[in-house]
Amino acid sequence: MPAAAQSPPMVLPRSVADALAALALPGAQAVAGASWVMRAPLRHEPQAPTWVALAGIEDLHRCDITGDRVRLGALVTHDRLAHALPAAPDLRALAQAAAGAANPGVRRIATLGGNLCATGFAAADLAPALLALDATVEIATPQGRESLPMEDFLTRRGAPGPWLLTEVTIPRGPWRSAHARLPMRKAGDYPAAIVSLSATLTPERRIERLLAAIGAVEQAPRRWHALETRAKGEPLAALADLAQDTAGITARDALDAPGWYRLRILPTLVRRAAEAIAEDTA
Amino acid sequence: MNTPFDPARAVMDYPRRDAQDKVTGRTRYTVDMGGPGVLHAVMVRAAAAPARILRIDTAAAAAMPGVQAIATAADAPGLHGIGIADHPLFAIDTIRYPGEPVAAIAAETLEQARAAAAAVVIETEPLPAAVTMAAALADGAPLVHPGWRDYEVITEGAIRGGNIAWEARFERGAVDAAFARADVTVVESCFRVGRQNQMPFEPRAAVASFEDGRHHIRTSTQVPWTVRNVTARVLGLPPSQVRVTVPAVGGGFGLKFDCTIEPVAAILARKSGRTVSLVNARDEEMLTCLCRENADIRIRSAIAPDGTIAAREAVVLMDCGAYGGEQVFLTTMTAHTLGGNYRAGAMRMVSRAVYTHTPPNGAFRACNGVYNTFALERHTDEICAAIGMDRAAFRLKNVLGDGDIGAAGQRFQGEVLRPMLDRMEALRVESGDRRAQAGGRLYGRATTVGTWFIFVGPSSATVNLNADGSATLVTAGVEIGQGTMMQALPQIVAANLGLHPSEVIVKTADTDAAGRDLGVGGGRTTVSIGAAAEAACADLRRKLLPVAAEMLQTPAERLVLTAGRVEIAGRPGSGTTIAKVVERAEAVMGPVSGSGAFTNPGVSAMPGCAAGHFIEAIDIPVFAVHDCELAVDPDTGHVEILAYRVVQDVGRALNPRAVRSQIQGGVVQGLGYALFEEMTVHPGTGAMEQAGFESYLMPLAQDVLPVEVDLFEGAPSIGPLGTKGAGEVPILNVGAAVGCAVADAIGRPVGQLPLTPPRVLALIDGRDSAPDHPHIPRRWADNLLR
Amino acid sequence: MTIDLTVNGQPRRFAGDPRTPLIDLLREDLRLTGAKAVCREGFCGTCTVLVDGQPVPACLRPVGLLAGAEITTVEGLAPQGDLNPVQRAFLDHDVVQCGMCFSGMVVTLTALLHRNTAPTRAEVKAALTGNMCRCTGYERIVDAVLSLAPADPPTEAAR
Repeated sequence: MPAAAQSPPMVLPRSVADALAALALPGAQAVAGASWVMRAPLRHEPQAPTWVALAGIEDLHRCDITGDRVRLGALVTHDRLAHALPAAPDLRALAQAAAGAANPGVRRIATLGGNLCATGFAAADLAPALLALDATVEIATPQGRESLPMEDFLTRRGAPGPWLLTEVTIPRGPWRSAHARLPMRKAGDYPAAIVSLSATLTPERRIERLLAAIGAVEQAPRRWHALETRAKGEPLAALADLAQDTAGITARDALDAPGWYRLRILPTLVRRAAEAIAEDTA
Repeated sequence: MNTPFDPARAVMDYPRRDAQDKVTGRTRYTVDMGGPGVLHAVMVRAAAAPARILRIDTAAAAAMPGVQAIATAADAPGLHGIGIADHPLFAIDTIRYPGEPVAAIAAETLEQARAAAAAVVIETEPLPAAVTMAAALADGAPLVHPGWRDYEVITEGAIRGGNIAWEARFERGAVDAAFARADVTVVESCFRVGRQNQMPFEPRAAVASFEDGRHHIRTSTQVPWTVRNVTARVLGLPPSQVRVTVPAVGGGFGLKFDCTIEPVAAILARKSGRTVSLVNARDEEMLTCLCRENADIRIRSAIAPDGTIAAREAVVLMDCGAYGGEQVFLTTMTAHTLGGNYRAGAMRMVSRAVYTHTPPNGAFRACNGVYNTFALERHTDEICAAIGMDRAAFRLKNVLGDGDIGAAGQRFQGEVLRPMLDRMEALRVESGDRRAQAGGRLYGRATTVGTWFIFVGPSSATVNLNADGSATLVTAGVEIGQGTMMQALPQIVAANLGLHPSEVIVKTADTDAAGRDLGVGGGRTTVSIGAAAEAACADLRRKLLPVAAEMLQTPAERLVLTAGRVEIAGRPGSGTTIAKVVERAEAVMGPVSGSGAFTNPGVSAMPGCAAGHFIEAIDIPVFAVHDCELAVDPDTGHVEILAYRVVQDVGRALNPRAVRSQIQGGVVQGLGYALFEEMTVHPGTGAMEQAGFESYLMPLAQDVLPVEVDLFEGAPSIGPLGTKGAGEVPILNVGAAVGCAVADAIGRPVGQLPLTPPRVLALIDGRDSAPDHPHIPRRWADNLLR
Repeated sequence: MTIDLTVNGQPRRFAGDPRTPLIDLLREDLRLTGAKAVCREGFCGTCTVLVDGQPVPACLRPVGLLAGAEITTVEGLAPQGDLNPVQRAFLDHDVVQCGMCFSGMVVTLTALLHRNTAPTRAEVKAALTGNMCRCTGYERIVDAVLSLAPADPPTEAAR
């Protein structure tokens, strides 16, 4: 494979256009914080012959927070995100996800873009939080830029390139959110299950609109639409009971926990997230 | 021992001398020695097992860039082992476990060595597998070692056969008659525990060279003399042709009793003529970790109406993996651990080390005792439930006391466990109940007892008194982090010679400089090397004091060594400095040194009641009482420890601060075993499933709490200055205390460790229950080899 | 592709594969062996170094992303023969055992005290989520760090 042999092991583009050009090289892989790809040997995965390291692209470091929306470049780290987000009820799920993932050293390295693009990583924290916050993902391709909802992005993220996740936009609003995760220890390991919720409440504290997402339960994070539908008009305090019905969720068996356990703790995580939301409104 | 000074003068919180280099990153461990000019080696491992080897071809690998030497089974003809020699350095004709080495390659760089390893052709054909002990014991099970009869027996007294690598058993008293009594309550329990990985942060590693016709191995080991002997054995050399030196060791916990790395590095060094560094990568450590073994236990007791134990019997299956290893020896321990703690009218137990097609297991801090204590204490709580007796009252009534006969007929001396239980009660009252902290969760509490013992065996020491008045202690002891070489030993020598510990230099282990030593483990270093060092100091005093007597015109009996001086007793300032006496001694008889030795003092057991045992009786028993309060989240199964208390029998604590550190660290390792840590075997492949720190969960700072400690001093000990080893035993009853407290909290029997959240929730939900072992026949005698 | 960076105040140039983890550059090329490569997956913390003042696991940092970075390893925290306050506290409290984790512990906790001079016990423990120790059981490490923050209420430390 002469082409691969001639590809440099790492290129450092200064613009998204240059990055997309580099990603057209055979075997090229976009690399953000590198915390996932550096562990490829441990997963017995081959190392990509060319890394397109995005760190030098200024735009991708954007962290732009207004009263209407939050725009986050793909290279914003978990640590930076946790510190940058205001203590606002609508963004709380994302702040908790960013502050609780992995461990402090990894949070200083691991990026938003990397977290969303690591397809083999079932227990990513940011993805369910962003699902629950109705985030939009911007993708750059040689044809231009495209925005798509998180949910659609997750189904398409395995698609062949070249494409690049450039930023994520989160709308602001009168809803409240929370993120509940359950590692086996107090912290530091990947959670067995994650629940992210955002809820708009009526003055009677009934659920007007709920967005619910789960992580680590199935192979990929996803919205829990059945719960969202059932929750409409119900009191917030009833949410955990409504979450007893986990039909349609196929939990994975893995070394950290069997599938039945992930399903069994979902109502508890829903309750914890709902309680955090209720506390917030008190 | 008759000491010529108050032993209390050895007691101090003397700090470690290796700490400064360790906190500034300047300590060089074996893994740090791969500098310029050193070749890097990797093992070539077979992935699939069991399998018959059809062909191993290293020709292509030998032609790869940078390759300097290749080692294969042809270079290491000898078999090694404990009790029986069943273990080749490289698989010879059969691959018995996934990850077993078949060759090793040394190259200029690690990348080159890895590339060459990938080019080795391994052709095998699969063989039928027995991956679990149940499968290995089944009728018609494939034999892991079809040629077991042909192996050399190293230790006499073997009972073995088929997939039973070793069987140890004892029977004391009329057990059947006691169980047949009409008035007894019979309680039976089954337990199962998984494998625990020692996970020392420095992996197994060795740097070997071939110097002046002899092998020199620098290695991260706990047992330099074992490395010397095993290397010589598998290479077919006299042991004198191997020199082993040991730099700072980055943790051992029993794993580094292993000796499978060092001979390989030695072969590659001889073949290449270069210095060779062989370091296990973390995934190799995980794949081939010599874990604390998984075990299956059935225990049965007959309880008399007065609440005493009329009889007890048990079967313990210990998975040794593909080779016998430490488990062969550890079968002996059941008599002292599962057979420990309590008086019983009659008792019989059998421990069987079972071969399986899985990675071999090994030694881990309080080997065998940790799970047998879990089983014994949970069984004890089940007895209490069955007869309606308070758990504390039962223990106070039945624990071993002064003059009691132990499991295999040993007579215990001194009343130790009962006063320790009283001290625990006092500690609990003082520190206060934590039930309120459980909040809405399930609260549980337990107090457990444990019996351990100090391994003794051969140690030697030389003490040189230097012209500047300092002393140098030369032993084959190793510093693995426990602090003995940094604290207890210089403190013992200093107290014996009237010096400050900072004036005692401790030579790092070198088999060319020091006499034989059994190694660091079993809590033996302070006791065995300490005793040898005391003997060396006595020898030295016998030589030094007559010289001083002549100088001071005072009989030697009236002289004392203190504060770097030889003084006339009761007259401080009357004498002279030790340096001056050494100067004089050098002039009249040459440099002053003393040598000393120690070994097993020999405590007798009841003759004829044990078979297949490596040791009959325990020389220095050590007892521990642990108390645990915890909360269980009924929604998730998470266990939070609310309080953890330890009363430990330490004999005399020479360095109380260091002993407390060992207890904190040992308890936390035990909490890992009790709550998170388990290496599992893939039921299809027989390979270990956890590949690293992501999947093998050890406690982090947020998972632990300060352990409340009461050091129980003054129990009988033959150790120097009344010491007992303190580093091994803190882990002993943690699984027991947590297991009993969780059972108390959830109101259901707990039969397995670790108590991970899924496992606890399964018990709460009734999804899971205590194990039942169909592969352990209920009739005890049906478990014996004939 | 050559990468220029600063390690413990000295300019260094690296010309190897830019995907090489920083830990290998430090340990193999520069022979700074204080940082250890224990897990190589960002969980154990024994390879923690400061990159532009931030404690991160060096096993997960490819050198190619570090052009112009200032790296400080445990060897560079204090002049040879001297100790920084965290190192001093570890000696004074005699908390070291095997020592393999301590390079990372020192770096992480030095950075913690830099941004929070009086952390609580809980904050110290949270900061150590990515620094594992197999020997000590942590608590005495935490005690040593808290001794550097005299404002910390003793009641909480005793719990």
